[in-house]
Amino acid sequence: MIQDFDMITQTLWFQAISGFFGTIAFDVLFGVPKKYFFTGGIVGAAGWTTNVYLSWYCGFSVFNSNFCAAMVTTFLSRCFAVVKKCPVTVFRISGLLPLVPGVGIYQTIYYIISDNFSKAFETGFTALKVLTAIIIGMVIVSGIPNGVFKLLKKFSK
Amino acid sequence: MKQTEKTPHISDALEVATKAGYILLENGAEISRVEETMNRIAKHFGVDTGNYFILSNGIFTTGKAKKIKKKNTSSLSEQFADVKYIPLRGSRLDKVVLVNQLSRDIEQGKHSLESAAKELEKIDKLPAESKLVQTISSGIGSGFFCSIFGGGLQDCFVSAFAGLVLWIFALKVSIPHMSKLLGNMAGSFLAAAICILAVKNGFGVSLGHTIIGAVIPLVPGVAFTIGIRDIVGEDYLAGTTRLVDACVVFFGIAMGVAVALLVFSKFFTSLEI
Repeated sequence: MIQDFDMITQTLWFQAISGFFGTIAFDVLFGVPKKYFFTGGIVGAAGWTTNVYLSWYCGFSVFNSNFCAAMVTTFLSRCFAVVKKCPVTVFRISGLLPLVPGVGIYQTIYYIISDNFSKAFETGFTALKVLTAIIIGMVIVSGIPNGVFKLLKKFSK
Repeated sequence: MKQTEKTPHISDALEVATKAGYILLENGAEISRVEETMNRIAKHFGVDTGNYFILSNGIFTTGKAKKIKKKNTSSLSEQFADVKYIPLRGSRLDKVVLVNQLSRDIEQGKHSLESAAKELEKIDKLPAESKLVQTISSGIGSGFFCSIFGGGLQDCFVSAFAGLVLWIFALKVSIPHMSKLLGNMAGSFLAAAICILAVKNGFGVSLGHTIIGAVIPLVPGVAFTIGIRDIVGEDYLAGTTRLVDACVVFFGIAMGVAVALLVFSKFFTSLEI
């Protein structure tokens, strides 16, 4: 019973909450102004939930789910940047943080240090795949002309 | 309004632009944004001959005045050259937001050269979030990221505690007194040690997940993301500098964890992550 309750973290809604508050916590560490916390949290949660949902329920591969999640994150960041009138960076950096394979890279280096080369290769290659997926997703959405997002200007205060 | 403000000297205008670029770059903005902002500010104050060469840790600005027909102006053959070294440091996105806003205000003519310089000075001195808030958010971030990377509820609490202690250590010891590599090694050693002790005393389930969550406040998210962004935006030199910077930090974290596991494997059996 305790075991079941312990794994409550691995449900979709808990992952969404984790994405939301995890992103906000790092917004604080990166010095993002308070008025952008809620929006930033939504961007992070949306990106991470997309990733989790696609890989758990739709059988997407690591590459594809991260690609879609990066697209969602960058798209929402650009939308909110227009609505809230601030640089895209504010939402994008912390929004992408759950996706960016920082941990994968750290694990790769750890496995290299501890002489476990097959594991190192595995994690390193996964990290590289995720990274490529994020970059491609980011670049595609960055290519959408600014004019499209300017349509959202009427929602800004 | 003084007379001088109407025809500002080229060096004053470029100095303000460089200062704005300095703040942006120091606090983690992309190269393209820095360039754009500097250009925007300089242009508004009448300098469209400015040239900017921006690396991730340096700004080179040069400018040359156009021939002005008026007599008695000292800016007739004025030139400006400036090199600024900018150490790679942590990021404060609030400053990026404020400078961005300021540059747009300048463009709309809301600021004179002097008031813009004053405003930039004010932004530069903006105090950081209080240490207590930082520490608490580090703990919260560690906890939730542990769940993101697959840890259970107990692991999350262990991670949150370790993240909390880690940030206190970072603020008190590693940031003021240690180099980047050593600071990260020491910090992740501490975090990993706490996790090992907690898990081996029955407070957590999976050692790997707790350690990942605990060291996440050290992971250089901004440097990494911006580095990629710079490379995609064809600023290869700046991008690689930032990525190497990020990799040094990753290496430090991995070393710290590895040392902790090595040391504690003398006391506990089956330490694996």
